[in-house]
Order: sequence, then structure tokens, then C-alpha cells
Amino acid sequence: MSLHYTFPPAAGYPLNRCLYRLKSDDAFRERYLADPEATLRDAGLDVERIAALRALDRDRLIALGAHAYLVFMAGLRLKMATAPQTFERF
Amino acid sequence: MPLVAAAALPHTPQLLVRPETEDRDLVLRVHGALAEIKCGLAAARPDVICILGGDHIEGFFLTAVPALAVYVGSTVSGTFDRYRYTFDVHEPLARAVLEQGIGRGFDLAYSQDLALDYAFYVPLHFAMPEPRVPIVPLYVNVYLPPQPMPARCYAWGQALRAILDARPERIALVASGGLSHFPGSDRYDSPDYDWDRQMLDRLVAGRGRETAALTGEELDKVGNVEFRTWITLLGAVGDAKARVICYEPSWHHGNAVVTWPVE
Repeated sequence: MSLHYTFPPAAGYPLNRCLYRLKSDDAFRERYLADPEATLRDAGLDVERIAALRALDRDRLIALGAHAYLVFMAGLRLKMATAPQTFERF
Repeated sequence: MPLVAAAALPHTPQLLVRPETEDRDLVLRVHGALAEIKCGLAAARPDVICILGGDHIEGFFLTAVPALAVYVGSTVSGTFDRYRYTFDVHEPLARAVLEQGIGRGFDLAYSQDLALDYAFYVPLHFAMPEPRVPIVPLYVNVYLPPQPMPARCYAWGQALRAILDARPERIALVASGGLSHFPGSDRYDSPDYDWDRQMLDRLVAGRGRETAALTGEELDKVGNVEFRTWITLLGAVGDAKARVICYEPSWHHGNAVVTWPVE
């Protein structure tokens, strides 16, 4: 049976580190939003990974070793940053 | 002295920052249940809240992934969107849990410097009594395989109870997490609410010890990797019969608020 949350392969580390920083590092997220291509290139990602991450293509990202939860929360934090008015804060 | 309160609470960030896709009435009903917990905690007058949470790859990235850990600093802080949280940590209790936990054969990791995860501050945002009390963050790895086995979580909960019972403080024990949800997976919109309901029935019947026999594979399959924090709490509360304050399944998440009698 394939698990939903799987061991993060070492080959996916740079990608997971970028997802983690998009999720949790406000300065990195702002830099990404200002210049996604350069920010991800500087973080060591290749063309294929940059394309998958910019599209937030979950299946592709997971195939490249991304952790499913990191994909989810990086996407949510990007949405919260770019469309803050669509959220209600309690 | 014995525990003064025990509860399991949800922490989904949509309770704090609600997207348009989240049913507002449902969110408010969960807030109401958490307000009931806040009243219960105020009445129980804890000196400290020990909170079992699963880190969402926030405090612990891949630099180190402890199965079980204790935060042993003087304060702990975390941020989410516009929210900024800082909590006092009950350092003597945190240190006693760490040292005695190690002494009982649980090879706990510890930290004095990490970013607090929303698994901890979302429930505390809604349920922290006033005046606020210090906390002890207790970590159970839920998202980064290989996670600790349910039987180990249950055994840690049993040991934790023995440690806490011998302390002079009035202690509330809270588990944060669950129930069924699949963030980031292709099953995000189809949690296993039947599993949740059957589990809640078992807990209401006082059959919590059965959770020690669950497998990690089953928890992943039913969207309950976070249930490990509940299993740890169940090790601490034994066969006490749960009271379900609310169970509110949204389109992606089973929000459960549950208490156990402990005195």
C-alpha cells in the first residue's frame, strides 16, 4: 500500500527546503513573489523543479521527492500572501 | 498531584484564518466547542498546560527529526500570517519530563530553540484560560516517516502520566491534532469520517487502550497520522470514558473536541 506521507528522499532535499522556506520564511516568500525564477535558481533548483514549483503541480512535485504536506502549506501561504483579503482572521 | 484536565483539540489553521472555501458556521461551532474547553480549563485552575503536538515541519525541518521531543526553554514563539505568539514555558516541569522520560527508557530529544508550530498555538489561541498559564510543548513526530509506532506513543503516555502525577503542579494535558484529513494528498477532499466516528465511539466507551494496537499504515490510510498525539494522551488517561464536545466534519477535515475525566 502506498502511503500518503512518505519518507523524503535525499534527492528531494533542495526542493523540500524551498517548499519549507515558502511555508515558513516570510523574507524568502516575499523574494519568491517578487522574482520566482531567480529566487528558486539561487536556491539551487533546476529548470524542471522550478517549473513544477511555480505551477504548484502537486503530482509532479511529489514525483520529484516533495513532501505532500509541504506542497500543501507552501501553496496556502502563497495564497494568503497574494490574496489576503480572501481570508477571515479570528 | 493528579492531572486536573485532559482534552484533545483540533488545530487546523482554517479555524484561525478562514478561506472562503471554509464553512463559516462550522468554524464558529468549533470555536464554541473550544470556548467550552477554555471555560473548563479556567475551572480546573491548571498551573501549566502540557500540550502534545505534531510538528508540521516547522520547528523541526530535515536538520533533525525526533520521534519524541520536549521543548525545554524559558519561552517559545511562533508566527503565522499576521499572528505572533509567545508563551512562557514551565521550565522545571519540562526538564523533569525530559530527565525522567529518559530515565524511564524513552530516548527523548529536546530543544531550547525552535519555532513553535500551529499545532500548539491554534488550540491555545482559542482555549488558553485567563490569566494565561505556562505551557510545556511535547512533540510527537506525525508527518515525517518513519514516525513512532502507536504502541510506543501509548507507552510514552503511560510514562508521562506517572511523571506528571508525581509533580506538585496542577497539570492539564492536551493533545492537538486530527481527526481525519489528508493535507497535500490526492485524498484531501475525501477524509475517512467513518473511521473517526467509530474511533470516537470506542473512546466514549472507555476503550482507549485499543489504540495502542493500531498500525502506522492504518493511521496513514485513514488520514489520521496526527492521531499519535491522541494515542499518547490515551496512554496517560487510561480507560477513562471520553466526552465528545463536538465532532464537525468539514469538506476536508474532521474537527473533534473531546475531554476525559481525570480526577
